[in-house]
Amino acid sequence: MIILEDKKIVSSKFHIENSHTLSVAKEHGTYSSIERLFTLSSEEIIAIIKESHLRGKGGGGAPAGNKWALMPLGELKPSFLAVNCDESEPGTFKDREIISKDPHLLIEGIICTCFAIKSHTAYIYVRGEYKEFSNILQSAIDEAYEAGYLGENIFNKGYKLDVIVHRGAGAYICGEKSALLESLEGKRGHPRVKPHQQECEWYFDNPTLVNNVETIASVPFIVKNGADAYKEFGTSSSPGTLLFAMSGHVNKPGVYESEFGICMMDYINHYGGGIKNGKKLKAIIPGGASTKILTADEVGLAKLDYETMKALGSSLGTGGMIVMDEDTNMVEALKNLLEFYHHESCGQCTPCREGTGWVDTIMQNLLDGVARGEDIEKILEISKTMNGQTICVFAPAVSDVIDGFITKFRSEFESYVREDLT
Amino acid sequence: MSLVTVNIDDKSYEAKENSLLIDLLILHDIKVPYFCYHESLGADGNCRMCMVEIEGKKRPQIACDTFVSDGMSIQTASEKISSVRKRILELELINHPVDCPICDQAGECKLQDYYMDFGLYDSNIDMKEKVHNKKHIALGSSVILDRERCVLCTRCVRFTSNITKSGELGVINRGDKACISTVPGMKLDNPYAMNVVDLCPVGALTSKEFRFAQRVWFLKSTPSICHGCSTGCNIFIDHNQEKYKEDKIYRIRPRKNREVNGDFICDYGRLSYKNLQENRQQELLNKSNVISYEDALLELNSKISGSKNIVILVDANLYNEDIAAISNFSQKIGAKLVCPTECYFDDSFGDDWLKSDYKCANLQAIKNYKIDSLFSSDQQIDLLINFNHPSFSKFSSKQSVEFSTHKGSSAELVLAIPAYSEYSGTTINDANIEQYSQKAITTDVATISEYLSDLSKVAL
Ligand SMILES: Cc1cc2nc3c(=O)[nH]c(=O)nc-3n(C[C@H](O)[C@H](O)[C@H](O)COP(=O)(O)O)c2cc1C
Ligand code: SF4
Ligand code: SF4
Ligand code: SF4
Ligand code: FES
Repeated sequence: MIILEDKKIVSSKFHIENSHTLSVAKEHGTYSSIERLFTLSSEEIIAIIKESHLRGKGGGGAPAGNKWALMPLGELKPSFLAVNCDESEPGTFKDREIISKDPHLLIEGIICTCFAIKSHTAYIYVRGEYKEFSNILQSAIDEAYEAGYLGENIFNKGYKLDVIVHRGAGAYICGEKSALLESLEGKRGHPRVKPHQQECEWYFDNPTLVNNVETIASVPFIVKNGADAYKEFGTSSSPGTLLFAMSGHVNKPGVYESEFGICMMDYINHYGGGIKNGKKLKAIIPGGASTKILTADEVGLAKLDYETMKALGSSLGTGGMIVMDEDTNMVEALKNLLEFYHHESCGQCTPCREGTGWVDTIMQNLLDGVARGEDIEKILEISKTMNGQTICVFAPAVSDVIDGFITKFRSEFESYVREDLT
Repeated sequence: MSLVTVNIDDKSYEAKENSLLIDLLILHDIKVPYFCYHESLGADGNCRMCMVEIEGKKRPQIACDTFVSDGMSIQTASEKISSVRKRILELELINHPVDCPICDQAGECKLQDYYMDFGLYDSNIDMKEKVHNKKHIALGSSVILDRERCVLCTRCVRFTSNITKSGELGVINRGDKACISTVPGMKLDNPYAMNVVDLCPVGALTSKEFRFAQRVWFLKSTPSICHGCSTGCNIFIDHNQEKYKEDKIYRIRPRKNREVNGDFICDYGRLSYKNLQENRQQELLNKSNVISYEDALLELNSKISGSKNIVILVDANLYNEDIAAISNFSQKIGAKLVCPTECYFDDSFGDDWLKSDYKCANLQAIKNYKIDSLFSSDQQIDLLINFNHPSFSKFSSKQSVEFSTHKGSSAELVLAIPAYSEYSGTTINDANIEQYSQKAITTDVATISEYLSDLSKVAL
């Protein structure tokens, strides 16, 4: 078995007792990027982030520096940072580790980011159910205010910064960046129609940057050590690390940071201790529920970086792997996921609102033994209608999930079909 | 803004650069199905029905979020587009009851039109599997919601949030359980509430007044001008004469006029049709006895000849043509012509949108003819001739004649005249726009012009 070397950027303090408190965090290096931060200009920081090729860790993998550069600096309007901690996708549970085990690292990242985009207010949008984690985060913020790291005049550098925790009400769709901002504005969490040009996000019509918790938590390392230090990890197009996670049929499920580019199987074996009960692997959903499932054969070829996963017709997503052993019933597994999507579609777009419910109904019929062969075709047809014709990528993702399961494990679905029905 | 040329289904069209493609399609009557877009509410992009194919784009695009540019090439009826639309429509129908035979909207329902177009008569899921929902919810005192028929286009919600800014409506729940609701503690009772009934593209919102009153395909729509206030909103009077019955108005609807009322009217104006057919004066009366038209004219003539000090009251709701005729007549008989306007003024009625403080349709004509709006006299009035002015009872005179649309006159001689919906004419609104109302309802009653011209023959 291959032994992997630990490469840690955001999880280096996770194992330390009381790492969530200011004194312990500081003792282990948190806030050490601040010194350098205030010697740099906005433009310089953005240039460093661009240079580092840091990619967004909320699922899309968009280059963070390019996004920051879309913020209209020097505008008369205030600018905002919204940190996305909605983390509601099945199989994805990494951001909660950061806010509960190293919240000061996130605060440090927020300070760096806000200084770069000239923002004086940051919101952290936390998944509603994360009450306990959110409390830990809030205590850390309180400590930071107390220490003068947040507030009117942070670190006595003449810069004002407020950080506000906002807990959502428990909707997966509020993780989508524009729905998140609608929700933050006090409205229903409906994704907005995409703009025609590349532009920043808007919070009450003010320029706003939305980044994932882990993206922001990666910033202090880069500010402190420079872009090249970050690029020493990972591959040339997927530099750095990711808090990959495993759930399902592995011996040691959990969150383990790793650099990009290693073989998926090596990761499963090294960190996850292999498949549970010595069973054979059947399939893995690689990057949170909304990425296309990979068969065991495909997993054999998979490397944990954006490019390889794309070449396999799936995507790296959030790096949250759902591992399924040989005994997994794929029909039940897909039904489980479709119940989630049926429940979570915001309901704006016709194809998604009606499609998610309809496929769920047909899947139930299949499991109940009252579906016919043409019903599988119907699911695929509905899935096609959901793909590429909606306001946000929720529906296309559901479509990918369905296609993956049915095309790769079709015989299992067909075994439920009853042709004798009239 | 410069003009560009775009190509739609292999024909060239001119359009303003960066204007919305869907507006262009609607303008040229190019068939495009849509639920959520509305010119007055803007694009929302939720129904996904307005798909078109644009050269150079891999996927179909929604026309309500496409801005035209020079040389753009668009297909609206390709096989690819038809099949996408058909599939989306099929999804739209999945939880819809398709109970058109008992739906008020039948005949003016977009969903019905579209599925007829696509031949999707039977929706694909058994009734038992449909998401069932409440079918009769009173949103306020005048609008009823049927949640099963709703296609969640959010036009009604956007009307209350963007136009009236009163925010009574919202969407609750998610996915296929999402539905329209009033905000807790609120009712849809703003002065413009009933516009949501017109906005609703399907039969989900109906008006309590009109529900089940008539099948829309029996109705005739006549363009007219609301006489509720001096804004002069453009309307359609929808009416029908059933066999052996009188021609009857069933509803008033807004008629688009960007300069005046856009797509909307107020509920007061919308419901004003009731007053047009209730308690109407039909006969000619002399001291409460029915008399013939000829006798009435003779009686009027003799009253005029025997009086010295004559005052004429004219209502600021009459058409320009009436006011001109009355003004002429007044000069001829040497009468004093007045129109006290204070009785029309009601600043609790007016607002900063459509409703104006003056509840009469033709105040501007009264001003143009320089008709006095104040009247005082110490002299005893010998004869008072009222042309439907509401303040008649405030004046005392030796003798009185009233041309009246409604019953209840105390004049000795009462002459029935038609309401504005019963003959044609023009009015001038408070923005000085002259507008034409067409005769909607037929009546045997003579108009003011007819009376006056026949009177001059008698007088000869
Ligand atoms: C349905 C849906 C749910 C999402 N949920 C999350 C989430 O929980 N957390 C997150 O960071 N990004 C989520 N995203 C992605 C965000 O829209 C956005 O791209 C991201 O927050 C940007 O941050 P990043 O560039 O740092 O990754 C979601 C996207 C979609 C379409
Ligand atoms: S695709 Fe689904 S989740 Fe996204 S906006 Fe449309 S209905 Fe909402
Ligand atoms: S009630 Fe009518 S207008 Fe309102 S969302 Fe439903 S279909 Fe649209
Ligand atoms: S605003 Fe005035 S003119 Fe317009 S509908 Fe209402 S009453 Fe009639
Ligand atoms: S009209 Fe374009 S999406 Fe509804």
